[in-house]
Amino acid sequence: MDQYLIAMGTFACIYGLMTISLNLSWGITGMVNLGIAGFFGIGAYTSALLTTGLHWPVALGIVAAMVAGAVAGAGLTFATLRLRDDYLAIVTLGFAEIVRLVIMNELWLTNGSDGISGIPAPFPRTYGYAFALPFLGLMLMVLGVCYLLSTRLLHSPYGRVLRAIRDDNEVTAVAGKDVVRFKLKTFALSTAIAGAAGALYGHYTSFIAPDVFAPLLTIYIFLALTIGGTGNARGAVLGAFILIAILESSRFFPHLMPGFSAVQHAALREMLVAVVFVVCLMFRPDGLLPERRVKRTETPRAGDA
Amino acid sequence: MSDKLRISRRGLLQGAGALSLAGLAHPLTAWAQATGPIVIGTLTPQTGAGSIYGPGMRDAMAAVAKEVNAAGGVLGRQIRLVSEDDQTNPEATVRAARKLIDVDKAVAVLGPWASSVAAAVAPVCWESKTFCAIVGSADSITKLPHQGFLVRTQPNISAQAARFGKLAIDQGAKSIYFMGPQTPFTQIYIDVVAAMAKAKNIPFASEIYDGAKTSYRTEVEKALRAKPDVILLGGFVNDNAIVLREIFRAGYKGKLIGFGTGVNTKLLESVPPEAVEGVFAVTPSPALDSKAYQRFAKLIGNANPGPFESQAYDMINITLLAIAQAKQATGPAIRDAVRQVSQGGGTVVDNAVDGIKLISEGKKVNYDGASGSLEFDAVGDIVDAKFKIEQVKGGKLSTLEIS
Repeated sequence: MDQYLIAMGTFACIYGLMTISLNLSWGITGMVNLGIAGFFGIGAYTSALLTTGLHWPVALGIVAAMVAGAVAGAGLTFATLRLRDDYLAIVTLGFAEIVRLVIMNELWLTNGSDGISGIPAPFPRTYGYAFALPFLGLMLMVLGVCYLLSTRLLHSPYGRVLRAIRDDNEVTAVAGKDVVRFKLKTFALSTAIAGAAGALYGHYTSFIAPDVFAPLLTIYIFLALTIGGTGNARGAVLGAFILIAILESSRFFPHLMPGFSAVQHAALREMLVAVVFVVCLMFRPDGLLPERRVKRTETPRAGDA
Repeated sequence: MSDKLRISRRGLLQGAGALSLAGLAHPLTAWAQATGPIVIGTLTPQTGAGSIYGPGMRDAMAAVAKEVNAAGGVLGRQIRLVSEDDQTNPEATVRAARKLIDVDKAVAVLGPWASSVAAAVAPVCWESKTFCAIVGSADSITKLPHQGFLVRTQPNISAQAARFGKLAIDQGAKSIYFMGPQTPFTQIYIDVVAAMAKAKNIPFASEIYDGAKTSYRTEVEKALRAKPDVILLGGFVNDNAIVLREIFRAGYKGKLIGFGTGVNTKLLESVPPEAVEGVFAVTPSPALDSKAYQRFAKLIGNANPGPFESQAYDMINITLLAIAQAKQATGPAIRDAVRQVSQGGGTVVDNAVDGIKLISEGKKVNYDGASGSLEFDAVGDIVDAKFKIEQVKGGKLSTLEIS
């Protein structure tokens, strides 16, 4: 059981990186990114190809994955500068599908639907604590650094501009802020984190394939962030851990209910996940840890003067 | 029960924690490695793209576990089947496999169906020394460094392509042409058939087309310019329907061979009968006339179990026989014993109950299953996969042979 909890903790950290990434672009800056699985895939393949094909060290592979994620993110921002909301959502969703299809078909580079196996890990890969614990430690460290950085960013003047862009693009521009530049930088930063998440996923499980980056992954990340609470990194990380807790604990629940067939158990499990999410959103529409709105310092009333 | 009540009071955050605790308590029954029940994990696609096959596969394995338990189990221990859903998704699969192995202490994980899912499960299994039997047919999976922990009951893509090419050559082809849509497997089909044709000095040409087009006139013209007398169709129903119409319109008189996924009753409904008359179809098949298949059909009360259900039946049978043979229920023991019970002579058995009895009497058994005689090569691929060869006669598919 403890082995399992360690493994799920590691997966939760990987999801946590993605929710932090999505929180930066969507939660704070208001740029919907339904293509997060695509950036995850770009990062995973970049690091996997460099470490298996060219035998780069894992650490360099992860850095390269972040660079690749950032470049792809910046490119996509340029292509979608005029888009907001639903339109941006559709284009980014399309982007993720394009990434998946390119990976599926460029056999010479990506090995197509067979995927890439035998991706090296930073520590010798064995079954047991010797591998699982250091990897969990590494993931907690990476997640912690990303958490601190994004919290710091949020409370800086830079973060205020991002929230201003989210609330009103044009007013921010009128206030003299270079909106395009802010968007570009933030989106690239967020996709770099998604790229790192992808790379770490590959190094952890040793296998990646185009099917890993199915839209289901993006949906999970959106659910996690919505449950945890958008606009702050605490909510993002909490959401990721809750998501994994719900997905995994739901495995054990249907079996406690007798009288259902195996296929009904699988369906029940999916229903259970859905119900928990719906209930969660009914009672906490802003998530468990919603963004704390900055209160205006009270302007003195006329009579006080 | 009080746990459940508390969940509603304490809010969802603690609820999630309590859920995990409920999970903790449940598998405690599986702690006993050497004395309690033997845990076999099934990991089949209960939801997602594979969900038309997964439930049947899982039920087939459950039926075997039930009959073996009724007959006294293996090594005097009962079988506990734990089923997880692979969701036809490699990411979700890894988590499900970890649960089966880490929490339930499954000694074998049986059933991964899609290739990407099987390739994702494989490293989890060999690292944890858990036996694994898969369906997923991509050639690359059995080439992974699985140390023998993996076997596959489905013929791989190359084996399927080879059966395709063999039928063309058996039909006396003097010039073979392959046309098929762009899929991850198309190039493998072409390479395999090209090599077979070359060995027999038969001219071979091929083309890959976009499977979503509404007209294939130029593709068919190109094909016919090569003057083939056997055309291999790598397509699915939709593109085959158009290609066959155009081939018929062009007055082609040679033979046509397609895969069962593209030449089936659905195709017959959508194409004029004269355009499909005489077309051959090649499909991986269970061993329909075997005793094991007939016994399996009776066991699950379905007159025509499909190939994947038949394979699932065989997967659990050989796993249980291997446990009996090794006198030990561990992953490495199953790995070492699986070929001793599946091949290499001995009394032929078609089910685990009879086999376990014979093994306990000290006899050597050779399991011949519902999906074939189940002989594995060194990397875990099936050697003598069965295929069904059909031909359209009078507007209907009729079976020519199973071999």
